[in-house]
Amino acid sequence: MTAVDNAKAPLATPAPRARWPLGSLAMALVVGFLCVTPFILVIVISFGQKIEGAGWEWAFTFANYQRFFVGALWPDEVTFLHLQRLYYALYYAVIASVLAVLTAFPFTYLLTRLSRRAQSIWLVFILASLSLSEVFIVMGWDVLLSNRSGLPMLFEVSGATDWLKRTGWFEVLREWGLANPRNVKFKTSEFATILTMSYLVWPYAVILLYPALSRLDPSLTEAARTMGAGPARVMTSVILPTVKLPLIGATLLLFVFLLGSYVTVVVFAEPAKQTTAVAVYESVRGSTLDAPFGAAQAVILLVTAAGFLAIAQWLTKRSEAR
Amino acid sequence: MRRTMGHIFMALSGLVLALPIIIVAGASLNGGRTMLFPPEDPNFARFVEFFVTETIWVRALQNSLIVAFGAATLAVLLAWPLAYLLWARGSKLSKLLAGLGSLPFALPPIVFGVGLGFMWAFTGNLGALWVGIVSHAALFMALPLVTISIGLQSIDRAHLDAAATMGATEAVTFRTVILPQTLPYSISGFFFALVLSFNEFIVMFFVSASAYATVTLQIFNSLRNGYTPTMAVAAVLFITVSIAVFSAVARWGDLPRLMGADQSRN
Repeated sequence: MTAVDNAKAPLATPAPRARWPLGSLAMALVVGFLCVTPFILVIVISFGQKIEGAGWEWAFTFANYQRFFVGALWPDEVTFLHLQRLYYALYYAVIASVLAVLTAFPFTYLLTRLSRRAQSIWLVFILASLSLSEVFIVMGWDVLLSNRSGLPMLFEVSGATDWLKRTGWFEVLREWGLANPRNVKFKTSEFATILTMSYLVWPYAVILLYPALSRLDPSLTEAARTMGAGPARVMTSVILPTVKLPLIGATLLLFVFLLGSYVTVVVFAEPAKQTTAVAVYESVRGSTLDAPFGAAQAVILLVTAAGFLAIAQWLTKRSEAR
Repeated sequence: MRRTMGHIFMALSGLVLALPIIIVAGASLNGGRTMLFPPEDPNFARFVEFFVTETIWVRALQNSLIVAFGAATLAVLLAWPLAYLLWARGSKLSKLLAGLGSLPFALPPIVFGVGLGFMWAFTGNLGALWVGIVSHAALFMALPLVTISIGLQSIDRAHLDAAATMGATEAVTFRTVILPQTLPYSISGFFFALVLSFNEFIVMFFVSASAYATVTLQIFNSLRNGYTPTMAVAAVLFITVSIAVFSAVARWGDLPRLMGADQSRN
């Protein structure tokens, strides 16, 4: 995620001169083929059309986009089903990324105050959980949240369920969709989806905030303390203003990352509240087999993601300029 | 008091972070075939199944390893010239190429996966194992690109000057100064790509076209039939590999620096 930022940082040392035009050309071809062609193909195919019972063919039609925004039968009939999926993708991603950054921020701040050695140990642990595949994380939370084992069982056995029923909180949980008539249930629910998504990006949040927070000059906070500012005051008037932009930038990056999350949504979200990423998968490889429409939905996901990435990039630039 | 509260908060965060992993690790010890926690009749039978007796898992693990090592090697080889060009020239073209090279990693992987699926279908290679390797190399090229760039920027200018004054050609300087000093960073980049490729799922799903399965794919395929403790063994293996790899990076490289910590304070 930070590749572009780091790569574009100005050179610390003027380097030896290198001149290989042919090499540059070859590199441009390889990068163009591997990293750019796939995206171009998705965009081009999104204008194609499906052949009933066969596959699809090249075309130049906006039908797929029309279907996404107002439904296939427009103008006779309007449906916002696909827009609703995009809405859910945005909705889950916003809450989960904000939640992750809010909890990762104090953690990372404390982390950067530790000794170098302790930091290394924590970083190993965080990187390991960061790289752990989404399928394993979903598996872990699935076991934890599923009705027959994990937390619901713990609620039942420990008597927490009965307590909730006595105090009336049970009815509240039922209204939120977090309980069935007999016990609490977390699957499938928005709660489980957002919790797992937030967990998924939490280590990323730490890694993204780490550079900014570890570069905080301790003499600034010390100066504020000696001048009589309390800890809360130091936080709001010294630390937060300095890291405001990295905080927003990190949230945006995590948000973009979560827009495309697939396994979590498939397993934890209610069928009526699935996201665009799931719909892309369904169209391209699943039951409906409509590659052009899948591509169109992928393009919309891509444009949304690229837009937010551009904002994040701009914010990073601004914070570096200061 | 504040210090203690800080420590408690960190410990709690660590606990929540470890929670699903602990659950899965515990479940992998189940004697029976149901995913129970705490495990029933704990033993290591599932481990034998995963590593030795069940061909599906053994083959999937082989594929995962081939793809991860191939992709990480290729990613470093692709990233090196890019990083070098960026450092040595800093030209508009090199910046553009580095940006484009990071694109697959920055954008939603499902979009890149769909696009790669179309692309390899056109070339007629969809479902070949080497296609999986190349696709992952493209996806994770951004990681060695970052670590090698950090490594190149840390080279002491005086060494380059000394080499130049003594009449070393660019090739000699590259071999005797630049390469040795950036080796730890190249290796770190290799390992980052290796671990992430090992764990990647969605891009692999689109480019494998069900012709072969890696471990993560196999687990996703079995998702509908419910989890078995054998899958939990895979999770244990994966987290162990990650911890071992990143510990190695921390031991022989400077992990805080790679993650962007300030150099002036220690």
